[in-house]
Amino acid sequence: MRIVVGIKWVPNTQAVRFDPKTGTLIREGVPSIVNPHDYPAIELALRLRDKYGGEVIAVTMAPPSARQGLEHVLGMGVDKGVLLTDRAFAGADTLATSYVIAKAIEKIDKEIGHVDVAIFGHETIDSSTAHIGAQVASWLGWPYVYYARDAELVEDGKLKVRRQTERAIEEYVLNLPAVVATAIKALEPRPIRLLHKLRAKIEQPIIVWTNNELGLDKRCIGLKGSPTVVANITFMPEVPRKKIVYKPKDPKDAARWLLRQLFKDEAVAPFLKKALWG
Amino acid sequence: MPVKPDCEKLCPEWPCDDPFEFKGVWVVAEADENELNEASLQMLTPAKKIASKLGEKIVGILVGYNVKKWADELIKHGADEVIVVDDERLKTYYPRVYGQVIVDLAKKYKPSVILVSATMRGREMAPYIANTLRTGITADCTDFDVDEKTGDVLMIRPPFAAIMLAYIKTPFRKPQMGTARPNVFPVPPRDESRSGPVIEEKAEIIPPGMELAYYKPVKREEVLIEKAEIIVSVGKGIGGPDGVKLAEKLASLLGGVVAGSRKAVDAGWIPPERQVGQTGKSVKPVLYIAIGISGAAQHMIGVREAGRIVAINIDPDAPIFNQADYGIIGDYREIVPALIEELERLKKEGPKAIEELLKEEEEAAAS
Ligand SMILES: Cc1cc2nc3c(=O)[nH]c(=O)nc-3n(C[C@H](O)[C@H](O)[C@H](O)COP(=O)(O)OP(=O)(O)OC[C@H]3O[C@@H](n4cnc5c(N)ncnc54)[C@H](O)[C@@H]3O)c2cc1C
Ligand SMILES: Nc1ncnc2c1ncn2[C@@H]1O[C@H](COP(=O)(O)O)[C@@H](O)[C@H]1O
Repeated sequence: MRIVVGIKWVPNTQAVRFDPKTGTLIREGVPSIVNPHDYPAIELALRLRDKYGGEVIAVTMAPPSARQGLEHVLGMGVDKGVLLTDRAFAGADTLATSYVIAKAIEKIDKEIGHVDVAIFGHETIDSSTAHIGAQVASWLGWPYVYYARDAELVEDGKLKVRRQTERAIEEYVLNLPAVVATAIKALEPRPIRLLHKLRAKIEQPIIVWTNNELGLDKRCIGLKGSPTVVANITFMPEVPRKKIVYKPKDPKDAARWLLRQLFKDEAVAPFLKKALWG
Repeated sequence: MPVKPDCEKLCPEWPCDDPFEFKGVWVVAEADENELNEASLQMLTPAKKIASKLGEKIVGILVGYNVKKWADELIKHGADEVIVVDDERLKTYYPRVYGQVIVDLAKKYKPSVILVSATMRGREMAPYIANTLRTGITADCTDFDVDEKTGDVLMIRPPFAAIMLAYIKTPFRKPQMGTARPNVFPVPPRDESRSGPVIEEKAEIIPPGMELAYYKPVKREEVLIEKAEIIVSVGKGIGGPDGVKLAEKLASLLGGVVAGSRKAVDAGWIPPERQVGQTGKSVKPVLYIAIGISGAAQHMIGVREAGRIVAINIDPDAPIFNQADYGIIGDYREIVPALIEELERLKKEGPKAIEELLKEEEEAAAS
């Protein structure tokens, strides 16, 4: 099986701040990481390869620094990396991003070998749209399913995917090629291994494709290929709150103070009374 | 006034449509034989805001098998008309098949806006619809508006850090698509006097390329956090399962339910479907008691609609004190048991005990 897995090298959002004046992200000094929600996707891809043979190719559309992200997942045992990087890709929304990724998958299919499955994480921590999987499926015309927790090959070379929604545990059997997006925390990722890191260092299995190689129409990529436009950024209006803060003498004082506030407050008192005495 | 795009400048993969032809605000409803998802009805609220600003109709879209019966419900809650594709071949949901039916309807009717509730199914299907129509989509909007000058719909969502709001528009493509999480908007009140046309459409059903091989319904939790009137929510500061037990005891005394912050979910103390916040659920209880929660913007965005917020936190500088109604500085391990004890006593003594409680304050004030 040849499995493509989409990964993103994202700023560690916990550390990112906004510049309220310009409305832009302050990324300076913020360390980047592999999007945490991509690990289940990587792990699923590696398990399928370990079981059925073949190779796993990690793909990312990003600035050149994302090579580090690819090196990181090569350390987990991913076989190859493809870095899609070009100034012309910058400013892409999810439509334009998925377009480049889909075209890269077609190129991998033609030049490296037949692609059976493309696996994506559920969402990225910096945009959390959960769009890319379905959009790539749309460009490629492949069947797809989200929220995957596990997968295996079944008769006729189809892929059985297990998932859970709010309503049910479901198993879908997909014709290949297909797109699968994993659920958050669906699978525990394997650790980095020195052996894999060494191999990656020696073999350098990272391919870089700019738009010279992909040859996509400039009007379909980056900012120009993005139908959505950020018109404005503002502060979120604050919700008015009472903000009464109390430092109690002792726990009992704390409890009685709070209950006094709540029973004086017409917005909650009736509900408390109902809860306590019906 | 919308501007006609310069077709030469557009990606050739996109159709170059005349924006003036696109009319109508669609709400894609999620329904099956047994149920119309309430989250779909909620989307009629922003639909109404957009439709009245644009001067256009609200159209409910129902796709499935034995779903026509829900059309009236959509109309009573605010849809002006409903388009139904009711077909036995749609008995099983496949994202690409349902998505393609909606794509075909949109190509025929040319709505200016398509709204989808960001349920699990909605999040799976909506980006497929948008992409196949070669249009933009904005996920998890918290509000919608219309740019008065251009007539562009503004999809409003917190980007990245939840303290900011981004206004996103789709100026060169139609329809304009957006999703919103369940419970961000209320269900518009039911109006028995409303009526409207129900249009039945036939659709071409594409082969799914996949098959549902196994289906086992999971028992739904009795009280969903999004419906609860009182929520006791725990964060990292609760320290572990013992703390959660204490929170559960408090919640059951108050007839409420337990929820948690993402860190509490990440630690495995609270199941993911009970996470409150930007990447969890939006809740609107009468009372939200946050225990050991610091008050990160991504958490607080989920409680904007809460009536009152109580914060119990050991750190006097915790940001949550600035975003709560009543804050108590202290160790929850002492305060929560005391609170439980007082509540149990009140419960036993009956409503009269309140007077005594309130008198205490007068005495304290007098002394
Ligand atoms: C894109 C993105 C999306 C996110 N989505 C969400 C989301 O949906 N929901 C969410 O909750 N978070 C979300 N987060 C994470 C969020 O930024 C915070 O990290 C998280 O909310 C913090 O959880 P917490 O308050 O439980 O933990 P902490 O921030 O670690 O706070 C723990 C608090 O407990 C207090 N404490 C410790 N001991 C005690 C004690 N004995 N008694 C009383 N108080 C005590 C401490 O003073 C502290 O204030 C998101 C982050 C990002 C970047
Ligand atoms: N720039 C990118 N390059 C490769 N894969 C991506 C990129 N952005 C997102 N993905 C994949 O798509 C998934 C969903 O991302 P998103 O739609 O941005 O929330 C992620 O978990 C990744 O697997």
